[in-house]
Amino acid sequence: MTAVRVEVRDLTKTFGSGDGQVPAVDRVSFDLRQGEFVALLGPSGCGKSTILNMIAGLIPHSGGSIRVDGTPVQAGKVMPQVGYVFQRDTVFAWRTVARNIGYGLEIKGMPKAEREAKVAHMIAQARLKGFEDAFPLTLSGGMRQRVSLMRTLIMEPQILLMDEPFGALDTHTKLEMHQILLELWERERQTVVFVTHDLAEALTLSDRIILLSARPGRIKEDFTVPFPRPRDAIRLRETKEYGEVFAKVWHSLGEEFAVTKAD
Amino acid sequence: MIIHFGRWGLLALILATWQWGWNLKPTLGWLVPTVLDPYFVSKPSIIYNRFLELSCLSLPKGGWAFTDWSGFTACVGSPKGSLWTHTLATLRNTFWGFLVGVTSGVSVGLLLGRSETLAKIFEPYIVAFNSLPRVALVPLIIIMFGLGDMSKVITALTLVFFVVFFNTFEGTRSVDRDLVNAARFLGASNWQVTWTVYVPSALAWVFASLSPAISFALIGVIVGEFIGSERGLGKVIIEAEAQLQIADMMVALVVLMTIGVSLVLVFRSVERRLLRWQRHHAERT
Repeated sequence: MTAVRVEVRDLTKTFGSGDGQVPAVDRVSFDLRQGEFVALLGPSGCGKSTILNMIAGLIPHSGGSIRVDGTPVQAGKVMPQVGYVFQRDTVFAWRTVARNIGYGLEIKGMPKAEREAKVAHMIAQARLKGFEDAFPLTLSGGMRQRVSLMRTLIMEPQILLMDEPFGALDTHTKLEMHQILLELWERERQTVVFVTHDLAEALTLSDRIILLSARPGRIKEDFTVPFPRPRDAIRLRETKEYGEVFAKVWHSLGEEFAVTKAD
Repeated sequence: MIIHFGRWGLLALILATWQWGWNLKPTLGWLVPTVLDPYFVSKPSIIYNRFLELSCLSLPKGGWAFTDWSGFTACVGSPKGSLWTHTLATLRNTFWGFLVGVTSGVSVGLLLGRSETLAKIFEPYIVAFNSLPRVALVPLIIIMFGLGDMSKVITALTLVFFVVFFNTFEGTRSVDRDLVNAARFLGASNWQVTWTVYVPSALAWVFASLSPAISFALIGVIVGEFIGSERGLGKVIIEAEAQLQIADMMVALVVLMTIGVSLVLVFRSVERRLLRWQRHHAERT
């Protein structure tokens, strides 16, 4: 068995105080092992992003514990081995593509020549060649999100937290992003937590899907995604196995959508 | 094309009315307003000639500055060519008032924008001081700092500071939290976040305040010169008022307008360069 990188125990989050308390996440427990690609899937408002943000230390948790590599997570404290990709576009609009991607290395004080070589490599991998000196406002949403992704990956995080990073993209661009992410991940095999409400996306990318119930978020089911790797984001969807697993998880997810609607 | 035509046409119309409008008074009567009386507003031709004299472009002993450099320098040094001395004094004080006002406004704006506690502590003082018309402070400033340049710089600076401060403060507070978090995840320290996220994000706000800040710096200096000074365009205007030398006053006003416009144009080009990542700037270049 490989090492546990992230350990979540009875994780609870309530927003508000006193009578106005709203439970968002209710006693969630799971382990993430080295190199595992896990999708947190659930209807909107189920607290999946909240769980991710608690693991990242962006917001404090109300109960339970989170350990990353054995160290308890503290809100407001960034762990160097953790990378985070935001749902919203968070590229620095005043930096060019190359300087966005090189940001973390620049902050670290890496010499310019070494930095530029690494940035050029990342730009090639993200299929952004020719856009090195472009400012983000002149790029498409998909390109900007690739810049965000590469800006995080260049720091070589061992644990990657992604909050619906492709949520705002159209279907076609999304598939392209899946393909790029799969290629990159095959090489480094980071431990990934990927938040999404898109089942197809979760099946395409992950080894395991943690399905959350409607608010308050509890773990409803923990599915293993059996598809072999390396995967082809487009061809995968044509296989019979894909259809079968999709139907199984879809049924369970559908029950939660029904609950959300009934609210 | 039609815009250019309209602009220059309007200028010609204004100058022509100013120059010859009063001549029509006997025929048109009340249709020609009394403000066109050259006794109040002089005439473009007289102002132009007065400008040439005061600027030493036409020399007192005859001839043109363009062909007689030594004559020009002698004229500028004499009391006759004092327009240069006055203009330079006003420009210098405006520059220092602006520079110190912007620097302090940006620094304090960033500091209070980054620290909730400091912002809360200083808030009532800033509101109180800002609601006081700064021009009312000029007599006090002159008592404290004398009739010289220092009091003008201080007046300009108190006006400039608040415009720039409020903009920087707002700009810093409205920085996207996710951008800050993104920078932290990429390893940035507090100081690095300030420098690489807050400052560039707030820059657009700062620049938005610089054009008004230039105007405010000029206002501060001129008002200071009105109330008490040794030199400066404000002093030229006040003296011209006392002696009813309208042409002299108009020359000073035209010089002031030229200074204001030039400074704003300079800042626009700096802004375009520094904010070229913004869409509307990108499209223009």
